[in-house]
Amino acid sequence: MARRKSQTGVASAAPSSDYQPVPMGYMFRSRSGYNSHAVRLRILTALTGVVCFAADYAPEAVEAGKAQFLDACAACHGTDGEGGLGPSLVDGREVRRADDEQLFKSIQQGVPGADMPPFSFPDEQIWNLVGFVRSLSAPAVESNLDGDAAAGEALFFGAGGCVECHRIRGRGGLLGPDLSRIGASRRIDQIREALLDPNARITAGFEAATLDGNIRAVVKNHTNFSAQVLDSSGRLHLLRGDELERLRFEGESWMPRDVATRLEDDLVRDLVAFLSRQAPR
Amino acid sequence: MRLLLCALVLSAAAIGQIDEAAILEGAGDNWLTYSGDYASLRHSSLDQINRENVGSLVTKWVYHVPGARRLETTPLVYDGVMYLTNTNELHALDAGTGRRIWTYAAEAPRRAQNRGAAVWGDAVFFLAADCHLVKLDRLTGALIWTREFASYEEGYYTSLAPLIVKGQVLVGTAGGGTGQRGFVAALSTETGDELWRFWTVPAEGEPGSETWGGFPSKWGGAPTWTTGSYDPELNLIYWPTGNPWPDFYGGRRRGDNLYSNSVVALDADTGEMKWYFQFTPHDTHDWDANEQLVLVDSEYNGEMRKLMLHADRNGFYYLLDRETGEYLQATRFVERLDWATGIDESGRPIEVPGLEPTPAGVKVCPSVRGATNWMSPSINPEIGLLYVVTLEMCDIYTGSAKEPVPSSGFRGGGSRQIPSEPGQFYLRALDSVTGEIRWEYKMTGPATMWAGTVSTAGELVFTGDDDGALVALDARTGEALWHFSMGNTLYASPMTFTADGKQYVTIATANDVFTFGLFSD
Repeated sequence: MARRKSQTGVASAAPSSDYQPVPMGYMFRSRSGYNSHAVRLRILTALTGVVCFAADYAPEAVEAGKAQFLDACAACHGTDGEGGLGPSLVDGREVRRADDEQLFKSIQQGVPGADMPPFSFPDEQIWNLVGFVRSLSAPAVESNLDGDAAAGEALFFGAGGCVECHRIRGRGGLLGPDLSRIGASRRIDQIREALLDPNARITAGFEAATLDGNIRAVVKNHTNFSAQVLDSSGRLHLLRGDELERLRFEGESWMPRDVATRLEDDLVRDLVAFLSRQAPR
Repeated sequence: MRLLLCALVLSAAAIGQIDEAAILEGAGDNWLTYSGDYASLRHSSLDQINRENVGSLVTKWVYHVPGARRLETTPLVYDGVMYLTNTNELHALDAGTGRRIWTYAAEAPRRAQNRGAAVWGDAVFFLAADCHLVKLDRLTGALIWTREFASYEEGYYTSLAPLIVKGQVLVGTAGGGTGQRGFVAALSTETGDELWRFWTVPAEGEPGSETWGGFPSKWGGAPTWTTGSYDPELNLIYWPTGNPWPDFYGGRRRGDNLYSNSVVALDADTGEMKWYFQFTPHDTHDWDANEQLVLVDSEYNGEMRKLMLHADRNGFYYLLDRETGEYLQATRFVERLDWATGIDESGRPIEVPGLEPTPAGVKVCPSVRGATNWMSPSINPEIGLLYVVTLEMCDIYTGSAKEPVPSSGFRGGGSRQIPSEPGQFYLRALDSVTGEIRWEYKMTGPATMWAGTVSTAGELVFTGDDDGALVALDARTGEALWHFSMGNTLYASPMTFTADGKQYVTIATANDVFTFGLFSD
């Protein structure tokens, strides 16, 4: 795997052999749509003969960054980057707002006024770290996928039974969240968690309830004075006052809890791969 | 169990289909299209709230739209559920309580204000700012598809509520101020496929192209940024168009610049133009004709006519025969109007020479915001009055003869306010046939609002005012019967509906949606 040159600035040495095609699948999304930051930089390098620097999102680089992260960063930012003494690198504002170069600088020079110290790693290692930190917050569609998405699709619409409650582009049931854009709105780890541990967090508007003792429904919203309830037949119930007594909250979602035991690991992987690719406009 | 669920899912699709007949019922319990009905009357048959009891109207709920800065939405209501839009967002609420049922946020690279949604079948549609039509399941907000119909990278964007006619979603665009060619397009409600498109600037060689002095049609403007009207009997769709580009400099586009600042009547099945009428030929004051087109049948000169009523940004109130496009009459509805001395028998303005924008600037009335604008008028057909928000104001218009460069922000000049002459807003009640001003309600405030009106069978007209209040006026006399200050600038028009059998009135402020009902309820 070609590594980008780790230069802080424009390098004078510019071996054109630095350019190698990037395998399909490393497509990253920017504000202007889908593109490949890494590919772009490599093409730029090849065309201009000038070595550009960038975070490396290749799996090996992210893995290397992860190892380094566990050694140097996890004590403050948590082993999964979820935050601790330092801010969350998964959904923290600081990270989401910073561009790659700002992240690089924050690691190399520390953050004045905060507890983040400077780290005098070689540039290449810092870029690996930036790549890993980015991967923590990347939506699933931008992540490197293993698993057979076609097999996952067959499972979703077939034997897996997912489509009975979930919908993708207008096809499916009502009692689970719409998954048409799940790959763009959730990270891989969130999708995996939702599959394997569905009650770890319940999506707003999908709390399970039983209406009139026998109708499966989800509570879209409720207060002590009203409730907005959608039943499995597609009937919306706008309940007021005493009518709330018709509702029994189940305290969890309707999502089956036995996915982990029911599906082989590779099928889970296939399903995650399929769901990760659901990211239309 | 699975079979049972599938059957239930299928049956869900059959519940509560919204079709043309439902929309044709007009505004009552439901409010199913931007202006309440296809004729853009914005008049509701509800009268639970009326002149006698409107004094006891109280706030029933407020829904805050997170992050909103300029809500322009007219909410829709169907079967107790309210659909309202913010920039690139659709919110579905329990209309009786203001509690959210679901929200959908489109990931769009462009932002713009948004005026509302459209409902059809079991779906709800809205336009993301970057010219994508989004179709959602009405009950759950689940995405069905999105379809691009113009490129935001070419400068197009959208802000209007789509209109659904005969299973076609009619869309238009904004962006005429930067040199894009306007159009009305019909997309299939089922697939999003484009069924037809009417360009508001004729292509080179087509009839009308001779009115542009050789100016490229692709830059012509005439955008379609408000919602049109529809007459099912005549099978005609009426759409108003905006100004030609560059807005303030006409030297490169000599001629009338058809079909800018016009209404076009289009065959509802094919988009073929049946007639057009141009309100302001060769406009150099940014006086888009995008104000609403109100369709009524009324006696005119002793015979029943199918009329189109239109209070234009240029300060004149027009009556047209909507079957043929024949010009009937025009009357001025503002004092501050000096660009024309009147409208001649053919419908063409009799212009005062020397009021084209100049590099040094020239004072012209009305102001660039117009004598009225897209803020919705309403009509009470029983009383025969059209309620129009009007602005008495002049501006200094400047022009620049630079070579036009599209998509650069170039507009050929601009306008500025005269500090010693701030604008003054009124709600004016025009006799819908004669154009005579029967009464007016003078507002207080800084002349910064964009709120419109709704009329009801309770003989009330509700208007947003220039000081952030919703005001209820006696529809016959203009007497102010009730008001409520919401403490924020208004950019939206009110509407009314029922939930749980009770009538409510709703209006959006810049960032909240206020809903009012009778205290006793």
